Amino acid sequence: MVNLTIDDKQVTAPKNATIYDAAKLNGIKIPILCHDSKLKPFGACRMCLVEVEQMKGRQIPACTTPITEGMIIRTATPDIIKARKMVLELLLLNHPIDCPVCDKAGDCDLQNLTYEYEVNANRFADAKFNHVIDYNNPLIERDMNRCVLCGKCARICDEIVSFGALTFMDRGIETKIACEFEAPLNCEFCGSCVSVCPVGSLLARPFKFKARFWALTNQKTVCSYCGTGCNLTLGVKDNKVLTTVYDENQGFHKGQLCCRGRFGYQFINSERRLTTPLVRKNGTLVETTWDEAIEVIAAKMKTAGASTAALATPRITNEELILFKELMETVGSNNYDHSAGYAHAALTKGFVQSLGVAASPASILDVQKTDLLLVIKTDTYETHPVVGFEINMAVKNKEVKLNILSDKRGKLSKLPNAKTLIHVPGTEIAVINALAKVIVDEKLADGTAASVPGFAELEKALAAFTPDAVAAQCGLTAADIKQLATDYAKAEKALILFPVGLPYPGHNEDLASALANLAILTGKLGKEGCGVLCMAEKNNSQGAVDMGFYSTAGMDAGKIIDGCASGSVKTLFIAGENPVVSYPDHTKIAAALDKVDFLVVADLFMTETAAMADVVLPACSFAEKEGTFTSVDRRVQHIKPAIRKIGQCRSDFEIFGALITKLGGKPSATPAKTFEAISSSVAGYAGMSYASLGETGAYAAVSVKPSFVVPKTMSLASESGKLALVTGSALYHSGTMSQYGEGPMYVCPEGYVELSRNDASKMKIAENDLVIVTSSKGSIKLKAKISMRMPQGVLFAPYHFSETSINRICSGAPVTWVSLSK
Amino acid sequence: MNPITPIVHGLKITLSHLFMKPVTLQYPDERPKVAERFRGLHALKVSHNNAKCVACYLCPTVCPAKCITVEAGEDANHNKYAAKYEIDMLRCIFCGYCVEACPVDAIKMTGEFELANYSRDNFIYTKERLLEK
Ligand code: SF4
Ligand code: SF4
Ligand code: SF4
Ligand code: SF4
Ligand code: SF4
Ligand code: FES
Repeated sequence: MVNLTIDDKQVTAPKNATIYDAAKLNGIKIPILCHDSKLKPFGACRMCLVEVEQMKGRQIPACTTPITEGMIIRTATPDIIKARKMVLELLLLNHPIDCPVCDKAGDCDLQNLTYEYEVNANRFADAKFNHVIDYNNPLIERDMNRCVLCGKCARICDEIVSFGALTFMDRGIETKIACEFEAPLNCEFCGSCVSVCPVGSLLARPFKFKARFWALTNQKTVCSYCGTGCNLTLGVKDNKVLTTVYDENQGFHKGQLCCRGRFGYQFINSERRLTTPLVRKNGTLVETTWDEAIEVIAAKMKTAGASTAALATPRITNEELILFKELMETVGSNNYDHSAGYAHAALTKGFVQSLGVAASPASILDVQKTDLLLVIKTDTYETHPVVGFEINMAVKNKEVKLNILSDKRGKLSKLPNAKTLIHVPGTEIAVINALAKVIVDEKLADGTAASVPGFAELEKALAAFTPDAVAAQCGLTAADIKQLATDYAKAEKALILFPVGLPYPGHNEDLASALANLAILTGKLGKEGCGVLCMAEKNNSQGAVDMGFYSTAGMDAGKIIDGCASGSVKTLFIAGENPVVSYPDHTKIAAALDKVDFLVVADLFMTETAAMADVVLPACSFAEKEGTFTSVDRRVQHIKPAIRKIGQCRSDFEIFGALITKLGGKPSATPAKTFEAISSSVAGYAGMSYASLGETGAYAAVSVKPSFVVPKTMSLASESGKLALVTGSALYHSGTMSQYGEGPMYVCPEGYVELSRNDASKMKIAENDLVIVTSSKGSIKLKAKISMRMPQGVLFAPYHFSETSINRICSGAPVTWVSLSK
Repeated sequence: MNPITPIVHGLKITLSHLFMKPVTLQYPDERPKVAERFRGLHALKVSHNNAKCVACYLCPTVCPAKCITVEAGEDANHNKYAAKYEIDMLRCIFCGYCVEACPVDAIKMTGEFELANYSRDNFIYTKERLLEK
C-alpha cells in the first residue's frame, strides 16, 4: 500500500493504482470521459486533470499517472476547474449539441459534465463536423459527428472483444473513428462499443427513440441464453422490456455482453408470445381456460401414470425443475430428462465417473488466472461468447498460452500466439488419449497420478494411442501431439475448456473422461487456474444437472422418444424444449410426437413442437418470474421479475404447482420455499437462500474424487467421396429461442453451410449459392458460406433454425457424411 | 351616532354602483379578451408544414400531472419526430411547465379556454387536434 494525500485527505491505495483509482477508492470523484476500468489507461480527453505538488503543481491526467509514496494531489483547484471547462469548450466546439434528438441525452457523460461545469457558452467558434452517419446495419448507428475521440470503442473492440472493427483514422482535426477503408460497420455486433461510448456516437438502434434513459426502470437479472450466466440489467417501461442497460459494475464480466444477451431481449415482449391456453378440439387448437387445460392434463397424466414422460428445457429455473420432478413423482413416473439426454452426459456420466461429481472443477475466473489454456473446439467462443472475451483478455493481457484442438479454425485461432491443431472431425478423443499417452510415457505425470484408482487400466488402454498411430488417423503430426502434451504437462497452471450441448453429440461422457484424465494425470485439479471446465449450452444446464432432472431410474430422452413411437409413453409433457427442431433426426422425432397419445407443451411461443400438441400452455419468460439459474461454473444466481406476466401466461412453477394440486399433492407455495428445500438437499447448495445470493450470486462448492476412466473412442467409418458435416452454434444464437430475438435474427437470419475455399472452387460454388446437402437421412437446401477457417472436406452448419433445420439430415452422430450439389 | 347615518351611507354606495359600468360579462353573448400570457389549450407549433416538436420527451418528463404522452418515431431521413403526441386535458393543470421545458419552442399555450365537452374521450387531444391551425 502507498500513502498519499488527496485534497488534504490522508489516504492509502494499492501500489499499482493510478491517481484516479486511488481517488475513487477513497470516495473522491475525479471526472473522466475516456477512461474505463476494464481498459488499459489511455489519456485522450484531459478531463481528469489534477495538480500534483511534487510535479511543481503541473496539471497531469489522473487516469494514466501511477501513484507514488507521499504524493500530494489536488483535484479541484480553480486552475483545474478552468482547465476542465476549457477541455469541454473545445470538445463542444465541433459537437452538434443536438441533445433533444440524441438518444444518449440523460445518460451522456459530455452532457453531464457540461452541466456540472456550467459551460453555457463557448469562447471559440468553428464549423460543426459533417461526417456521414452509418445507418447500414440494423443494430448499431454510428454518428461520428458526436464523437469525442475517447477511443473507448476501438479499444474495447480490440482489447476485450478482439474483433478490431474500429480504429482511429486521419490526423488532427480530421481524426475520426472508422472501420477499415471507411466501410460500414460489419462486425460481430456484441454492442460493447455502444455500451462504453460516453456520448451519442454509437447507439443501439433497436432501442433508438423508444424512451429516455430516465424513464426506464432498471431490473437486474441474469441472461437467459447461454450457460455463462452473465448479469444483465433490463430497462423496462410500461411493462415492456425496451433495452438492456450497461452496468460496468455488474458481474465478473463487468457488464460485457454478447450479441444475443445485449440485442436478443425482444422475445420477452414479442407479439408472437402465446397468451392463452390452447386445447386441440376436432384437430385444431382453440383457446381455452386454465381450469379446463389443467383438468384435461391432470386427467391424462393420471390415467397414463408410469407411462407419463417429461422433457424440460434447461432454460427454466432450478425451482421449476424441482417442481416438475415432483409432478412426475406424483403421477408415479420417473421418465424425465432434458437436452436430448446426450448433451448433459459429459457431466452426468463423464465427470461423475472421473471426478465423482456432475460439475466442473473450475470456474470462469480461472481463465485469467491460468498459464495455459487447452480449448477443445473453437466453438467455445461461439457457444459462450463472454467466456470467449475472458480468453481474449487472458491471452492478450496476461500472456496465457492458448492451445486449441479443433476440427476447424475459428476466432480464437486468430489470437496472438494461439496454436490451433486441426484434427479430422470426430477424432478428438483419440488425440486426447494420445496426449495422455505422451504424458505417461515421457514421465510428465504428477507424482500422485499412479495412486489414483484406475491408473493401471488407463495405462494399458493407452497402449494403442501412440502419437504416431493417432497422428496417422487424425491428421496431425506426432510432433504436434507431443509438443502439446509437453506444454500442457509442464505448464504450472493449465485449464481445459470444452463446450457441450445439442449440436455437439461427440462431446459426451468419453470426451469428458478423456479430458479429466489429462487433468488428473498432471495434477492440474483443485488448484487456482487449473481444472476442466465443461461449458454446458443453456443458461441453466448446470442447474438441471444439479437438480437431478435427468433419467437415473427411468427412461432417458432417447428412450422417451422411442417410447412415444412404440406406445409405451402415453402422455408426454414438454416444458420449453423444442425437440422437433433442436434434437437430431427430425423425421424420427416428428413421427414419435405425432404418434404419442397426448402431448402437452408449455412454451413462450407456438414452436414447431407446440404446434403438434394436444394442449399448449403459455409460459412465462425469465423476465416475468422468480427463481435461480446455475451457470457452467456453478454460480447460483437469483432472478426477479422485471415485468408483470403477459396475457394469461403463467410461470412453469405455477403450472406444475396447479397440476400437483389437481392430482392431490401439495406443491411448495413459492419459489423461495422450493429453494430452501434445494439448499438443504443439493450438494454444494447448502446454506444458500435468496437473501444470501443477493445480486452477485454464490458459487456452489464442487468437491472431486478423481479416478481414471478409459474413454471409448468413436469409430468413424469415413465414406469416400463424401464431406464431413459437423454442427455447432452460431455466434449470434443459442438454442432455438434466439430466433425470437431481433438482434440475433438481424445478424444471422437463416441457416447456412460453411465450406472451405478449396471445396467451393472445386464444386464451383459461390458465396450465398443455394446448395443441396444430402445425407443418408435426407437432404436440405442451405445457403453456402465460403470461409478460410474450414479445412478441406469439412462442412459446418449451425442448428438453431426452424425453417432450415440441419437436424433434418443429422442423426445424432458426431459427424454426418454428406454430399453437396447445386 | 345617529342610527340612520350608516344606512344612508350604505345606500349611497349601492346607488353609486347602479350608475357604474358593469363588470359582469354577458357570456356567451359577450366574450372576454384573454391576456397574452394566458395559459389555455396547448398548440403544437408548425414550421415548414411539419410540427416543430422533435419528440425529445422533456415535456412528458417535466409535466407534474403526467398527462402528456409522446412516442417518438424515426422518419425516412432517420430524423426524430413525434409519432404520437397526446395531452389528456382532464388531467392537465395548465401550469405551463411543458412550454418552459421545450428546447425547440415547439409547444405553446393559446387563449382557448372553452374546453367543456360531452364525452371523456374528447378530452384526449391528439397531435392532429393540437397542431397550430
Ligand atoms: S452526445 Fe451528449 S452532448 Fe452530444 S448531443 Fe448527444 S446527449 Fe447531447
Ligand atoms: S459491436 Fe462489438 S465487435 Fe462490433 S465494433 Fe462494437 S465492440 Fe467491435
Ligand atoms: S465513438 Fe464513442 S467511444 Fe468511440 S471514440 Fe467516439 S466517443 Fe469514444
Ligand atoms: S448469451 Fe451467454 S455470453 Fe452472451 S450475454 Fe448471455 S450469458 Fe453472456
Ligand atoms: S418538449 Fe417540445 S420538443 Fe420535446 S416532446 Fe415536448 S413539445 Fe416536443
Ligand atoms: S479520463 Fe483521463 S485523460 Fe480522459
